[in-house]
Amino acid sequence: MTTRHPFSRRGLLRTSAGLAAAASFGAPSILHAETKTLKITTWGGKWGDIMKATVLPAFEKEHGCTVSADQAFPFVPKLQVSPKNDPLYDVLHTNSNEQWLAVVDGLVMDKITAKEVPNVADVYPYAVSDKIVGVSIFTSAIGLGYRTDKDITPPKSWKDLADPKLAGARGGYLIPVNSLGQCHLMMLGKIYGKGLQDLDAAYKALEQLKPIKLVDFTGQMEKMLLSAEVVEGVIHDSGVYRYEGANRQPVDFCSPSEGVMALEQVLNVAPGSKVKELAFAYIDYMLRPDVQKLLAEGVWYSPANKKVKLEAKYDAKLLTTPEKVATLIQPDWKWYNARKDDIDARVTKILKG
Amino acid sequence: MTLFNRMTSAAIKLQQVTKSFDGKVVAVDDVTLDIKAGEFFSLLGPSGCGKTTSLRMIAGFEMPDSGRVHVGGQDITDVPVHRRDMGMVFQSYALFPHRTVAENVAFGLRMRDVSKPEIAKRVAAALAQVALTGLEERKPAQLSGGQQQRVALARALVIEPRVLLCDEPLGALDRKLRQQMQFELKELQQRLGVTLVFVTHDQEEALAMSDRIAVMNRGRVEQVGAPTEIYERPRTRFVADFIGEINLLEDGPHPRALRPEKIRLVPAAEARLKGTVETANFLGGATLYRVNAGGRAYLARETHSGERSPRAAGDAVGLAWNDTDVVSLES
Amino acid sequence: MSTPLNKQPFDLGKTAYLGLNLLLLAFLLAPIAIVLVFALNPTPYISFPPVGVTLRWFVKFFETGDFMRSLWLSLWIAACVLVLSVVIGGACALALARGHLPGRAFLTAFFMSPLMLPAILTGLALFQSYLLSGIGRPVWGLIMAHTLIAVPYVLRTTLAVLHNFDRRIEEAASVLGASPVRVFFEVTLPLIQPGVFAGGVFAFIVSFDQFPVSLFLVVPKGETLPVVLFNYMKFDLDGAIAAASMVSILLALAVVLVLERLIGLKAYVKL
Repeated sequence: MTTRHPFSRRGLLRTSAGLAAAASFGAPSILHAETKTLKITTWGGKWGDIMKATVLPAFEKEHGCTVSADQAFPFVPKLQVSPKNDPLYDVLHTNSNEQWLAVVDGLVMDKITAKEVPNVADVYPYAVSDKIVGVSIFTSAIGLGYRTDKDITPPKSWKDLADPKLAGARGGYLIPVNSLGQCHLMMLGKIYGKGLQDLDAAYKALEQLKPIKLVDFTGQMEKMLLSAEVVEGVIHDSGVYRYEGANRQPVDFCSPSEGVMALEQVLNVAPGSKVKELAFAYIDYMLRPDVQKLLAEGVWYSPANKKVKLEAKYDAKLLTTPEKVATLIQPDWKWYNARKDDIDARVTKILKG
Repeated sequence: MTLFNRMTSAAIKLQQVTKSFDGKVVAVDDVTLDIKAGEFFSLLGPSGCGKTTSLRMIAGFEMPDSGRVHVGGQDITDVPVHRRDMGMVFQSYALFPHRTVAENVAFGLRMRDVSKPEIAKRVAAALAQVALTGLEERKPAQLSGGQQQRVALARALVIEPRVLLCDEPLGALDRKLRQQMQFELKELQQRLGVTLVFVTHDQEEALAMSDRIAVMNRGRVEQVGAPTEIYERPRTRFVADFIGEINLLEDGPHPRALRPEKIRLVPAAEARLKGTVETANFLGGATLYRVNAGGRAYLARETHSGERSPRAAGDAVGLAWNDTDVVSLES
Repeated sequence: MSTPLNKQPFDLGKTAYLGLNLLLLAFLLAPIAIVLVFALNPTPYISFPPVGVTLRWFVKFFETGDFMRSLWLSLWIAACVLVLSVVIGGACALALARGHLPGRAFLTAFFMSPLMLPAILTGLALFQSYLLSGIGRPVWGLIMAHTLIAVPYVLRTTLAVLHNFDRRIEEAASVLGASPVRVFFEVTLPLIQPGVFAGGVFAFIVSFDQFPVSLFLVVPKGETLPVVLFNYMKFDLDGAIAAASMVSILLALAVVLVLERLIGLKAYVKL
């Protein structure tokens, strides 16, 4: 077995480096001689393929370091368990809701500013708004995906999902485990009640959506739409737009008139990171227009950097202008996470059966 | 053709041996035995009397709490089992289920680093001796109980042990086969001259086969002697009672015993006691009567020699015996 | 008059018994059948009835570096776990059954306890202790974790064999001149071997399929197959998952068959 050696050896190096650091504060030069390792989390799928094939190797070359990219969930619990002064990850990449969980325990920094990461100066306001800890490098729009071949009126509003004709053919998420489901719940409060935080109105509206097909991953929702088990369902734009060209499928995405919910890809740094400069450099790198363009066009994410110019077909659909970006509604995850247990219990009761 | 060589046998001596389990139950209590070389010696008693534990101490499976074990004049108390050079046959046979008949028999020779051709020769001879030639490649599970018994015997004897230990080896066989094996075993033992220690709870078996018997009870030896002696002159009440049927006469200061066959059924005039037949059990070669005389029951065995003189329940009979046939027992 | 043939009357109990067995069999095999259909169906999602037959998902599975690397890693780990748990579990079982140890019942429960604890907690706890003790997450750490979970299986099957073991057989060997060591290798080991290896097969499969314990203990680029499949599923739920499942099932089956051939699991001890 040859594949196992690099890891164990590296693990050994890391351990011995740690020991050396603890033992000999007076001789840091020895440590500098070694190649630094940046530990990050990242997605799998197409995103992961691009990262591993192009983005990360280029970064490693540029900075003379190695990047250890963990694609195996769950990231936040793993970070939580690891020692704060020697965190398992230097850079944590998750959706926004998990960053809010992590910041409570001091696992990540509150804010990333242009001081540490110069490219932050060029991002849209949502990427560093008060709804974000760290910095958002991309966003998707959560709206409605639907079949174009099933003789339904293309949706215009979030309310269209309640159309009685869609009974049993509409799709949603297991709200306790999926942030798209959580976004949708908040959106129901806004549409049918006084706002995103009107949970009573949201519960009532959720009741009206039964019967509804529920999934735990967004990937599953894609497949449900592709197999027409779900005719109309809550999904992020990239989960629909990626089926184009040779992969074309009879599905389309609607940005409801009331606005789309933001599904941000957030990067943040662990305060205890031993390679903090490298971590900031990595985030800066990920915000660079060329890197942003590559990934945005690869997986149909809307780039956070205002200066990115996408090819026309991407530009047409993704949120690439201040006007389009203004349709994004950012959920207050701090507020939501504080009530999550109650909400979970309530929605589980509503959706049971 | 002599298949087994006549063996050099050894005497066994147990010297004030005591063994208890879990520090409580005394299984063997101060037992001293002298077993002569070449002797067929039985340890007889009910279950839990200490006979098996005594045998296991000779084999070395159990370590006596106190006392010594000698074999062939040597103190072997501290010699581990595998260096004692004994043969043993277990009640369950304890054949190696994963090995063939031939491999089972060869085991002891293999442990002694005997050369391969020599092993083959001796295994073949041993199997011939117990009439199992042709079954070499069978697994034990494919053999009948009697055949397994023979394999166990061949396996124990092929190493030409100084001593052969048998723990109720015939217990699992049916009556007919058991009797046949009793003869075979006795014959084999005599021919080989091996010292054989035989554990059994079956008094008939012990009487039939042994040169001498030690009757054990509650961890102690009650009596050691030749079968006739044990039978005719039981020393204790336990021995008298355990071996065969007995009439216990408790009219004096000491209990006395009288074998049923020593009681004669006679006309009233010659009788010591007068009574009535309660039951008459026909045993084939004899009849066992249960006679009520003076409010207590007597057993009388009448052998059928020539003419039968049948008596039935309810018949009045007289009982007579010779005083010399009455045995005084230790109380 | 000729002897009437004994006509077998319709036996309701027997028929019901047969029916129940067939039902159970169907219940056990149906998921595998569904996975197979999914694996051979060209669409990248589960559709029924299938629209065709293709091997593209198998090709994708075998051509994807991540899958292959994790497959080999999983096999390698499972093989190590098999060996370790057989040695440790077998030795434990012998000590527990034979050792006259004080507190045997407690010790047995202790060694079985990894089965009682939710595996995810075991994984998390090990992850935490590894990190805190500065071990990191080396492959041997993962192997030890799997072994921890696998040992109870070997322990249980071996104890079962030892429970029915006639110790007179060992005594017979020793009285025939076998030293304790030889008794062990000539008699004890061959006789408990089927139980030990039946446990070993369990151990292999438990490790090969292990997800919850591995979840926290795998390192980037050192993920086991179940972890890779789980993460893959979050982004690409296509037939490659089903193909991977089929390959896993077939590999596990192959291991069982090979071990059965080599050792003869049902040779002479009924479990």
